[in-house]
Amino acid sequence: MITRDVEPAEWAEQVRAARGEGFDFFDWLSAVDQTDAEESPGLDVVCHLIRTHPWERVLLRTRVAEGAPLASVTDTFRGAAWHERETHEMFGIDFPGFDDGTGHGLRPLLLPDGFEGTPLRKSFQLAARASKAWPGAKEPGEGGGDQAPAPRKRARRRLQPPGVPDESWGPR
Amino acid sequence: MTVDLPTPRVGRAAEAAPQAVRVVLNWGRRYSLWVFNFGLACCAIEFISASMARHDFIRLGVIPFAPGPRQSDLMVVSGTVTDKMAPAVRRLYDQMPEPKYVISYGACSNSGGPYWDSYSVTKGVDQIIPVDVYVPGCPPRPEALLHGILTLQEQIAAETPGRARARSRPRPYAEQPASAGEVTRGLLSPPEETS
Repeated sequence: MITRDVEPAEWAEQVRAARGEGFDFFDWLSAVDQTDAEESPGLDVVCHLIRTHPWERVLLRTRVAEGAPLASVTDTFRGAAWHERETHEMFGIDFPGFDDGTGHGLRPLLLPDGFEGTPLRKSFQLAARASKAWPGAKEPGEGGGDQAPAPRKRARRRLQPPGVPDESWGPR
Repeated sequence: MTVDLPTPRVGRAAEAAPQAVRVVLNWGRRYSLWVFNFGLACCAIEFISASMARHDFIRLGVIPFAPGPRQSDLMVVSGTVTDKMAPAVRRLYDQMPEPKYVISYGACSNSGGPYWDSYSVTKGVDQIIPVDVYVPGCPPRPEALLHGILTLQEQIAAETPGRARARSRPRPYAEQPASAGEVTRGLLSPPEETS
Protein backbone atom coordinates (compact mmCIF):
# COMPACT_ATOMS: atom_id res chain seq x y z
CA MET A 1 0.00 0.00 0.00
CA ILE A 2 1.18 3.48 -0.87
CA THR A 3 0.95 6.23 1.74
CA ARG A 4 1.05 9.82 0.56
CA ASP A 5 1.30 12.75 2.92
CA VAL A 6 -0.14 15.80 1.23
CA GLU A 7 -0.60 19.41 2.21
CA PRO A 8 -4.11 20.43 3.29
CA ALA A 9 -4.21 23.12 0.60
CA GLU A 10 -3.84 20.57 -2.20
CA TRP A 11 -5.98 17.85 -0.62
CA ALA A 12 -8.81 17.93 -3.16
CA GLU A 13 -6.40 18.11 -6.11
CA GLN A 14 -4.40 15.13 -4.82
CA VAL A 15 -7.53 13.02 -4.39
CA ARG A 16 -8.62 13.93 -7.89
CA ALA A 17 -5.15 13.15 -9.24
CA ALA A 18 -5.20 9.74 -7.52
CA ARG A 19 -8.51 9.02 -9.18
CA GLY A 20 -6.95 9.95 -12.49
CA GLU A 21 -4.21 7.38 -11.83
CA GLY A 22 -6.81 4.64 -11.66
CA PHE A 23 -7.58 4.69 -7.95
CA ASP A 24 -11.27 5.02 -8.70
CA PHE A 25 -12.71 2.88 -5.90
CA PHE A 26 -13.39 5.08 -2.86
CA ASP A 27 -13.10 2.91 0.24
CA TRP A 28 -13.34 5.24 3.21
CA LEU A 29 -12.44 8.64 4.61
CA SER A 30 -11.96 9.37 8.27
CA ALA A 31 -9.79 11.30 10.69
CA VAL A 32 -7.33 10.66 13.51
CA ASP A 33 -7.02 12.98 16.48
CA GLN A 34 -3.35 14.00 16.62
CA THR A 35 -3.81 17.11 18.72
CA ASP A 36 -1.30 15.75 21.26
CA ALA A 37 1.43 15.27 18.67
CA GLU A 38 4.83 16.77 19.37
CA GLU A 39 5.12 18.69 16.11
CA SER A 40 2.32 20.36 14.15
CA PRO A 41 -0.61 19.12 16.23
CA GLY A 42 -3.90 18.80 14.43
CA LEU A 43 -6.23 16.26 12.94
CA ASP A 44 -5.11 13.71 10.37
CA VAL A 45 -7.67 13.27 7.63
CA VAL A 46 -7.12 9.95 5.91
CA CYS A 47 -8.62 8.75 2.65
CA HIS A 48 -8.26 5.20 1.37
CA LEU A 49 -8.56 4.58 -2.35
CA ILE A 50 -8.26 1.31 -4.27
CA ARG A 51 -7.27 0.50 -7.81
CA THR A 52 -8.88 -2.84 -8.59
CA HIS A 53 -6.91 -3.74 -11.72
CA PRO A 54 -4.03 -4.16 -11.22
CA TRP A 55 -4.65 -4.29 -7.48
CA GLU A 56 -3.13 -1.38 -5.54
CA ARG A 57 -4.17 0.71 -2.58
CA VAL A 58 -3.28 4.26 -1.70
CA LEU A 59 -3.68 6.05 1.60
CA LEU A 60 -3.85 9.84 1.31
CA ARG A 61 -3.18 11.64 4.55
CA THR A 62 -3.11 15.27 5.53
CA ARG A 63 -2.71 17.09 8.82
CA VAL A 64 -5.30 19.80 9.36
CA ALA A 65 -4.77 22.33 12.10
CA GLU A 66 -7.45 22.39 14.77
CA GLY A 67 -10.42 24.42 13.60
CA ALA A 68 -9.12 24.77 10.05
CA PRO A 69 -11.35 23.70 7.15
CA LEU A 70 -10.47 21.13 4.51
CA ALA A 71 -11.76 21.16 0.95
CA SER A 72 -14.46 18.58 0.27
CA VAL A 73 -13.85 15.72 -2.17
CA THR A 74 -17.53 15.08 -2.88
CA ASP A 75 -17.11 16.49 -6.39
CA THR A 76 -14.56 13.73 -7.07
CA PHE A 77 -16.30 10.90 -5.19
CA ARG A 78 -20.02 11.32 -4.51
CA GLY A 79 -19.81 8.45 -2.03
CA ALA A 80 -17.52 10.51 0.18
CA ALA A 81 -20.54 12.52 1.38
CA TRP A 82 -21.48 10.12 4.16
CA HIS A 83 -17.84 9.83 5.26
CA GLU A 84 -17.39 13.58 5.37
CA ARG A 85 -20.62 13.99 7.30
CA GLU A 86 -19.44 11.41 9.81
CA THR A 87 -15.99 12.98 10.07
CA HIS A 88 -17.65 16.36 10.52
CA GLU A 89 -19.85 15.25 13.41
CA MET A 90 -17.24 13.07 15.10
CA PHE A 91 -14.25 15.42 14.79
CA GLY A 92 -15.75 18.81 14.03
CA ILE A 93 -13.84 19.32 10.80
CA ASP A 94 -15.51 21.65 8.31
CA PHE A 95 -15.57 20.60 4.65
CA PRO A 96 -16.25 23.65 2.47
CA GLY A 97 -17.62 22.74 -0.93
CA PHE A 98 -19.52 19.78 0.48
CA ASP A 99 -22.34 18.75 -1.85
CA ASP A 100 -24.29 15.51 -1.66
CA GLY A 101 -26.99 16.59 -4.05
CA THR A 102 -29.55 17.47 -1.39
CA GLY A 103 -28.44 20.99 -0.65
CA HIS A 104 -28.74 20.45 3.11
CA GLY A 105 -25.00 20.70 3.65
CA LEU A 106 -23.04 19.05 6.45
CA ARG A 107 -25.48 17.66 9.00
CA PRO A 108 -25.28 14.88 11.58
CA LEU A 109 -25.36 11.39 10.14
CA LEU A 110 -25.07 8.92 13.01
CA LEU A 111 -25.34 10.88 16.24
CA PRO A 112 -28.78 11.22 17.83
CA ASP A 113 -30.74 14.46 17.69
CA GLY A 114 -29.54 17.06 20.11
CA PHE A 115 -26.11 15.52 20.67
CA GLU A 116 -23.52 18.10 21.65
CA GLY A 117 -19.83 17.75 21.06
CA THR A 118 -17.46 15.82 18.82
CA PRO A 119 -17.16 12.45 20.55
CA LEU A 120 -14.17 10.99 18.73
CA ARG A 121 -11.86 13.84 19.70
CA LYS A 122 -9.54 13.22 22.58
CA SER A 123 -10.76 16.38 24.29
CA PHE A 124 -14.30 14.98 24.52
CA GLN A 125 -15.03 14.04 28.12
CA LEU A 126 -17.17 10.98 28.74
CA ALA A 127 -20.14 11.86 30.94
CA ALA A 128 -20.29 8.42 32.51
CA ARG A 129 -16.63 8.60 33.49
CA ALA A 130 -17.08 12.03 35.06
CA SER A 131 -19.78 10.74 37.39
CA LYS A 132 -18.47 7.26 38.17
CA ALA A 133 -15.02 5.81 38.65
CA TRP A 134 -13.79 2.89 36.63
CA PRO A 135 -15.03 -0.16 38.54
CA GLY A 136 -12.03 -2.35 37.83
CA ALA A 137 -8.31 -2.11 38.42
CA LYS A 138 -6.63 0.79 36.66
CA GLU A 139 -3.06 -0.43 36.73
CA PRO A 140 -1.50 -3.87 36.30
CA GLY A 141 -1.04 -5.44 39.72
CA GLU A 142 -3.88 -3.52 41.33
CA GLY A 143 -6.90 -5.16 42.83
CA GLY A 144 -7.19 -8.88 43.12
CA GLY A 145 -9.01 -8.92 46.45
CA ASP A 146 -6.94 -9.61 49.54
CA GLN A 147 -3.69 -10.10 47.70
CA ALA A 148 -1.14 -7.39 48.14
CA PRO A 149 -0.11 -5.77 44.87
CA ALA A 150 3.08 -7.12 43.43
CA PRO A 151 6.03 -4.73 43.92
CA ARG A 152 6.94 -2.99 40.72
CA LYS A 153 10.53 -2.62 39.68
CA ARG A 154 10.12 0.77 38.09
CA ALA A 155 7.34 3.26 38.03
CA ARG A 156 5.12 2.93 35.01
CA ARG A 157 3.52 5.87 33.35
CA ARG A 158 0.03 6.31 34.69
CA LEU A 159 -2.64 5.24 32.27
CA GLN A 160 -5.05 8.01 31.41
CA PRO A 161 -7.06 7.12 28.32
CA PRO A 162 -8.61 9.91 26.26
CA GLY A 163 -12.05 10.97 27.35
CA VAL A 164 -11.46 10.24 31.01
CA PRO A 165 -11.55 13.36 33.18
CA ASP A 166 -8.39 14.03 35.17
CA GLU A 167 -8.09 14.99 38.83
CA SER A 168 -9.15 18.60 38.23
CA TRP A 169 -12.73 17.35 37.86
CA GLY A 170 -12.79 16.40 41.51
CA PRO A 171 -13.26 13.06 43.24
CA ARG A 172 -15.54 10.47 41.74
CA MET B 1 -23.18 -26.27 32.38
CA THR B 2 -26.84 -26.70 33.08
CA VAL B 3 -29.29 -24.62 35.04
CA ASP B 4 -31.83 -26.27 37.31
CA LEU B 5 -35.17 -25.06 36.06
CA PRO B 6 -38.33 -25.49 38.08
CA THR B 7 -41.12 -27.44 36.47
CA PRO B 8 -43.77 -25.14 34.95
CA ARG B 9 -46.93 -25.30 37.02
CA VAL B 10 -50.50 -24.44 36.21
CA GLY B 11 -50.60 -21.86 39.00
CA ARG B 12 -52.42 -21.98 42.29
CA ALA B 13 -55.68 -23.19 40.84
CA ALA B 14 -56.19 -25.76 43.58
CA GLU B 15 -55.76 -23.40 46.51
CA ALA B 16 -57.46 -20.34 44.97
CA ALA B 17 -60.89 -21.69 44.21
CA PRO B 18 -62.68 -18.45 45.23
CA GLN B 19 -60.52 -16.55 42.78
CA ALA B 20 -61.04 -18.96 39.98
CA VAL B 21 -61.60 -16.33 37.35
CA ARG B 22 -58.45 -14.47 38.28
CA VAL B 23 -56.42 -17.60 38.14
CA VAL B 24 -57.81 -18.59 34.80
CA LEU B 25 -57.08 -15.17 33.34
CA ASN B 26 -53.53 -15.15 34.62
CA TRP B 27 -53.07 -18.72 33.54
CA GLY B 28 -54.09 -17.83 30.04
CA ARG B 29 -51.76 -14.87 29.91
CA ARG B 30 -48.68 -16.50 31.25
CA TYR B 31 -48.74 -19.38 28.78
CA SER B 32 -49.56 -17.43 25.63
CA LEU B 33 -46.85 -14.79 25.57
CA TRP B 34 -46.50 -13.70 21.97
CA VAL B 35 -43.00 -12.35 22.03
CA PHE B 36 -41.53 -9.46 20.09
CA ASN B 37 -37.77 -9.78 19.84
CA PHE B 38 -36.05 -6.43 19.85
CA GLY B 39 -32.72 -7.90 18.77
CA LEU B 40 -30.01 -5.27 18.67
CA ALA B 41 -26.72 -7.15 19.00
CA CYS B 42 -25.17 -10.53 19.69
CA CYS B 43 -27.65 -11.34 22.49
CA ALA B 44 -30.30 -11.66 19.78
CA ILE B 45 -28.45 -14.72 18.48
CA GLU B 46 -28.83 -16.35 21.88
CA PHE B 47 -32.49 -15.39 21.85
CA ILE B 48 -32.91 -17.09 18.49
CA SER B 49 -31.08 -20.09 19.86
CA ALA B 50 -33.55 -20.21 22.74
CA SER B 51 -36.41 -20.21 20.28
CA MET B 52 -35.07 -23.07 18.19
CA ALA B 53 -35.44 -26.80 18.67
CA ARG B 54 -32.86 -27.50 21.37
CA HIS B 55 -34.07 -25.01 23.97
CA ASP B 56 -37.50 -24.40 22.49
CA PHE B 57 -39.25 -21.79 24.60
CA ILE B 58 -42.47 -22.48 22.74
CA ARG B 59 -42.95 -25.32 25.21
CA LEU B 60 -43.21 -22.59 27.87
CA GLY B 61 -45.90 -20.80 25.90
CA VAL B 62 -43.65 -18.12 24.40
CA ILE B 63 -44.58 -17.78 20.76
CA PRO B 64 -41.94 -16.03 18.62
CA PHE B 65 -44.17 -15.37 15.61
CA ALA B 66 -45.77 -12.06 16.51
CA PRO B 67 -46.26 -10.12 13.27
CA GLY B 68 -45.38 -6.90 15.02
CA PRO B 69 -45.48 -5.08 18.32
CA ARG B 70 -49.23 -4.49 18.04
CA GLN B 71 -49.90 -8.22 18.27
CA SER B 72 -47.38 -9.08 20.99
CA ASP B 73 -47.51 -9.35 24.77
CA LEU B 74 -43.83 -9.59 25.64
CA MET B 75 -40.89 -7.60 24.38
CA VAL B 76 -37.40 -9.03 24.82
CA VAL B 77 -34.78 -6.30 24.40
CA SER B 78 -31.61 -8.20 23.59
CA GLY B 79 -28.54 -6.17 22.75
CA THR B 80 -26.93 -2.79 23.05
CA VAL B 81 -29.43 0.06 23.14
CA THR B 82 -27.94 3.25 21.76
CA ASP B 83 -29.31 6.74 22.28
CA LYS B 84 -30.11 6.85 18.59
CA MET B 85 -32.11 3.64 18.85
CA ALA B 86 -33.79 4.47 22.17
CA PRO B 87 -36.73 6.46 20.69
CA ALA B 88 -37.50 3.52 18.38
CA VAL B 89 -37.49 1.11 21.32
CA ARG B 90 -39.84 3.43 23.15
CA ARG B 91 -42.09 3.89 20.15
CA LEU B 92 -42.51 0.17 19.55
CA TYR B 93 -43.12 -0.38 23.26
CA ASP B 94 -45.86 2.22 23.13
CA GLN B 95 -47.46 0.37 20.23
CA MET B 96 -47.86 -2.84 22.24
CA PRO B 97 -51.30 -3.42 23.78
CA GLU B 98 -51.77 -3.81 27.51
CA PRO B 99 -50.98 -5.97 29.35
CA LYS B 100 -47.39 -5.88 28.17
CA TYR B 101 -44.19 -7.17 29.67
CA VAL B 102 -40.52 -6.49 29.04
CA ILE B 103 -37.52 -8.75 29.57
CA SER B 104 -34.12 -7.08 29.41
CA TYR B 105 -31.76 -9.73 28.09
CA GLY B 106 -28.03 -9.30 28.54
CA ALA B 107 -25.63 -6.91 30.22
CA CYS B 108 -25.95 -4.19 27.58
CA SER B 109 -29.67 -3.73 27.83
CA ASN B 110 -29.55 -4.15 31.61
CA SER B 111 -27.03 -1.42 32.33
CA GLY B 112 -24.97 -0.59 29.26
CA GLY B 113 -22.67 -3.50 29.96
CA PRO B 114 -19.11 -3.15 28.72
CA TYR B 115 -20.13 0.06 26.95
CA TRP B 116 -21.31 1.81 30.12
CA ASP B 117 -18.97 4.77 29.57
CA SER B 118 -19.62 5.17 25.85
CA TYR B 119 -20.93 8.44 24.51
CA SER B 120 -23.63 6.75 22.48
CA VAL B 121 -24.91 3.82 24.54
CA THR B 122 -27.97 4.10 26.75
CA LYS B 123 -27.18 3.05 30.31
CA GLY B 124 -29.85 0.39 30.44
CA VAL B 125 -33.12 0.05 28.58
CA ASP B 126 -34.97 0.70 31.84
CA GLN B 127 -34.20 4.38 31.38
CA ILE B 128 -36.84 4.53 28.65
CA ILE B 129 -39.24 1.64 29.30
CA PRO B 130 -40.21 -0.28 32.46
CA VAL B 131 -38.56 -3.68 32.72
CA ASP B 132 -40.06 -6.71 34.47
CA VAL B 133 -37.20 -9.22 34.41
CA TYR B 134 -33.49 -8.64 33.96
CA VAL B 135 -31.44 -11.55 32.61
CA PRO B 136 -27.73 -11.05 33.41
CA GLY B 137 -24.88 -12.32 31.29
CA CYS B 138 -22.71 -11.31 28.38
CA PRO B 139 -24.39 -12.91 26.54
CA PRO B 140 -26.58 -15.06 28.78
CA ARG B 141 -27.12 -18.69 27.98
CA PRO B 142 -30.46 -19.60 26.42
CA GLU B 143 -31.25 -21.41 29.66
CA ALA B 144 -30.97 -18.06 31.42
CA LEU B 145 -33.67 -16.67 29.16
CA LEU B 146 -35.82 -19.70 29.93
CA HIS B 147 -35.39 -18.96 33.61
CA GLY B 148 -36.20 -15.31 33.03
CA ILE B 149 -39.38 -16.32 31.23
CA LEU B 150 -40.35 -18.58 34.12
CA THR B 151 -39.71 -15.73 36.55
CA LEU B 152 -41.93 -13.47 34.46
CA GLN B 153 -44.63 -16.11 34.39
CA GLU B 154 -44.51 -16.30 38.17
CA GLN B 155 -44.97 -12.53 38.30
CA ILE B 156 -47.92 -12.73 35.94
CA ALA B 157 -49.49 -15.45 38.06
CA ALA B 158 -49.29 -13.21 41.13
CA GLU B 159 -50.72 -10.08 39.57
CA THR B 160 -54.27 -8.79 39.66
CA PRO B 161 -55.84 -9.11 36.20
CA GLY B 162 -56.22 -5.77 34.49
CA ARG B 163 -53.67 -4.16 36.79
CA ALA B 164 -50.45 -5.52 35.42
CA ARG B 165 -47.40 -4.43 37.37
CA ALA B 166 -49.49 -2.29 39.68
CA ARG B 167 -47.18 -3.20 42.54
CA SER B 168 -43.85 -3.25 40.78
CA ARG B 169 -44.32 0.14 39.15
CA PRO B 170 -44.77 2.61 41.99
CA ARG B 171 -44.26 5.75 39.97
CA PRO B 172 -45.82 6.48 36.59
CA TYR B 173 -42.64 7.10 34.69
CA ALA B 174 -42.11 6.62 30.97
CA GLU B 175 -45.58 7.81 30.08
CA GLN B 176 -44.67 10.36 27.43
CA PRO B 177 -42.96 9.60 24.14
CA ALA B 178 -39.23 10.18 24.48
CA SER B 179 -36.99 11.91 21.96
CA ALA B 180 -33.32 11.19 21.58
CA GLY B 181 -32.40 14.50 23.15
CA GLU B 182 -34.15 13.62 26.38
CA VAL B 183 -32.18 10.45 26.92
CA THR B 184 -28.86 12.08 26.04
CA ARG B 185 -26.71 14.00 28.41
CA GLY B 186 -25.52 17.45 27.57
CA LEU B 187 -21.95 18.34 26.76
CA LEU B 188 -19.69 18.41 29.79
CA SER B 189 -17.32 21.29 30.35
CA PRO B 190 -14.41 21.30 32.78
CA PRO B 191 -15.00 22.72 36.24
CA GLU B 192 -14.02 26.29 37.04
CA GLU B 193 -10.43 26.84 38.07
CA THR B 194 -10.21 27.20 41.84
CA SER B 195 -6.83 28.11 43.19
